[in-house]
Amino acid sequence: MTVEVAGNVIRLRGVCAAEDAETLLSRLQAAPESEIDVTACRHLHGAVVQVLLAFRPNVRGMAEDIFLRDWVIPNLAAPR
Amino acid sequence: MDELLEQFLIEGPEQVQQAGEALLALEGRPGDTALVDQAFRAIHTLKGSVGLFDLPAMGRVLHVAEDLLGAWRDGRRALSRGAMDALIAATGQTERWLGALAATGGDLPADADAVAGDLVSRLSRALDSDAPASAAAQATPVDTAWIEALFRDRDLDPARHPTVTALRYAPDAGCYFRGEDPVALARAVPDLLALRITRRNAAAPVAADAYDPYACDLVIELLSAAAPEAVKGPFRFVPDQIQLLSWSPPPSPSAPAAPPVLAEGPRSLRVEAGRIDALAQLVDELVVAKNALSDLAGQMADGLAPQAAAQILGDRQAALDRLVGRLHRTVMGIRLVPILPLLRRFPRVVRETATALGKEVDLAVDGQDVQVDKAIAEGLFEPLTHLLRNAVDHGIEPAAERAAAGKPARALISLVARREGDHVVIDVADDGRGMDPARIRQAAAARGLLPDRMLDSLADDQVLDLVFRPGFSTAQAVTDLSGRGVGMDAVRAAVGRLGGSVGISSASGQGTTVRLVLPLNLVLTKVMVVAVAEERYGIPMDGIVETARVDPARVRPIRAGRAFVLRDTAVPLLSLAALLGLPEESWTDGEPCRAVVARVGGDLVAVKVDAFVGRRDVVLRPLTGLLSAMPGLLGTTLLGDGHVLMILDVPGLIAAAPGDTAPVGQGAP
Repeated sequence: MTVEVAGNVIRLRGVCAAEDAETLLSRLQAAPESEIDVTACRHLHGAVVQVLLAFRPNVRGMAEDIFLRDWVIPNLAAPR
Repeated sequence: MDELLEQFLIEGPEQVQQAGEALLALEGRPGDTALVDQAFRAIHTLKGSVGLFDLPAMGRVLHVAEDLLGAWRDGRRALSRGAMDALIAATGQTERWLGALAATGGDLPADADAVAGDLVSRLSRALDSDAPASAAAQATPVDTAWIEALFRDRDLDPARHPTVTALRYAPDAGCYFRGEDPVALARAVPDLLALRITRRNAAAPVAADAYDPYACDLVIELLSAAAPEAVKGPFRFVPDQIQLLSWSPPPSPSAPAAPPVLAEGPRSLRVEAGRIDALAQLVDELVVAKNALSDLAGQMADGLAPQAAAQILGDRQAALDRLVGRLHRTVMGIRLVPILPLLRRFPRVVRETATALGKEVDLAVDGQDVQVDKAIAEGLFEPLTHLLRNAVDHGIEPAAERAAAGKPARALISLVARREGDHVVIDVADDGRGMDPARIRQAAAARGLLPDRMLDSLADDQVLDLVFRPGFSTAQAVTDLSGRGVGMDAVRAAVGRLGGSVGISSASGQGTTVRLVLPLNLVLTKVMVVAVAEERYGIPMDGIVETARVDPARVRPIRAGRAFVLRDTAVPLLSLAALLGLPEESWTDGEPCRAVVARVGGDLVAVKVDAFVGRRDVVLRPLTGLLSAMPGLLGTTLLGDGHVLMILDVPGLIAAAPGDTAPVGQGAP
């Protein structure tokens, strides 16, 4: 399980693969106000990224992975 | 002339030069964005300056040229050969127009509009039809605004990242089903500078309950400091979904303009302030020396003993001598300019000529650290242009002929200047077909230049020298000839006016070398003063091999001419009086006659004079006005006694002499 839900926080952990996009999507559809915590995330598949981009949940946390932290997460946090 | 125009005429040619150099260099290094920038800046500045004057034709051409370069610089266009040709033609035309402006004081030639129209249409054709920058890019012009925005958003420093590789990846909707992960691909890009991930259609609302996370709608844009090839690597399986280009940030308007990439020598004489200061100091010292003479004059008036006066005068004269010597050297130093900027103008000339003739020719230029008098540098442009055009036109064979001879298709002409003692030697060498002495003989015979027997007696290398004879070359002769010959006499005359000489050598099938030998400076010339028919003339020592006393018994009449044997070589003996059209003394008065032995185009010729008067260092004043077209005269100088001394150009005199008085070469039969 790489998508964990704790209250209104969705934790993305480890390597998030394409399958996780669906889990994430249904969770976001159920609770649009959820926050995303990427602290423990090591990779985000493109499908996951595009869900985050489409629904624009708040994304928080410094990812362990440098590529995600420096290059990908800023895109998700940036205002539209 | 208008001050503004004057300034423009000084700066304009430099900018044309910069643009031209950059364009030519770009042919070898098409990816060098600094060169594109340089060309763009130069053309842009020119266009701005032209706008100050009423020169619509020139303005139009420069405007379109700027557009084309701008499109290229921004990566919207890759430059085709056609576009490059058009740009080089435009710079060449601009240079010619600048020349016309300088000559007329502000008017373009009457055909300027037509010429401009032609150039504008060539340039716009190139602008409309040029292929896009990379094969991976689409056929439509590449939009680079996103690159610029990304570059700016990331606060990248243009100075640190003069060139970046930009990649835009728009994976197709089904990519996830093929197991592709666009983010993983982006992760694999080396030296990432910026990454932006957006939805393909960011403005479209998301259908919250019908959103399909597996229909990929991402667009990934990234900048990398790595080379395009390295950036492209991870995307090798999706080449149809990426745009890749090398991009350079435009120079920021607030930043100081970068210095031009190529060094540019001034064409007007710009002098370091330090040298002027040195001059001023010398003049001060001269004033002191002059005052010392006034003192002396006063003391002599008060009854100074003549012997003491003579000694003091001698001292002061020596001091003045030193000062004048230093002054002279300083001024000469100011007049010396590097020759390289002149030589650098020629790659464009060669390219233009080669393009017009459908040939591929490279010009290698070398002349580092060689300096010549400014007047020489200016006077060399015409003859060198002539020589290079000839080399491209007549020296270099068509591609097919080169291939058949086993030569590389691209011909090479080298233009090399170097210093040898007091002279500057400039070689123009091509690797073309060389000159065929037999055919030059035929042509010379056909033109009636020399009697057949004389032609037969000439050695092959002397035959080559015939191309410098007036009347040798006509268009007809040139097409028949495998050599060259258009206006070579004009080249020799022009170089002669600068106090230099021209020689030619050639190896059949291997190429031709024309060698120009020029004095380092025109300012001070050593001359030998000779007397003939009670007049005095100067002959430059440069051209004199020796002086000789010739026993009349040794002089043999040979048909209409005369010759004598000088150390086993037969040397033709001409009379200076006859060459000058002065009354001639009898030849057979029994006394040894005096002759100056000079080298004319590689051969010895003796010129009989009445007396040697002495040697002088003279300041040679070039002839102006009507006199400047006079063959055989180099210039004049003022002698200490106020007389004007004419300085003769012996080879010129001989060449200009009619008929048999002018045997070619030393080859007396």
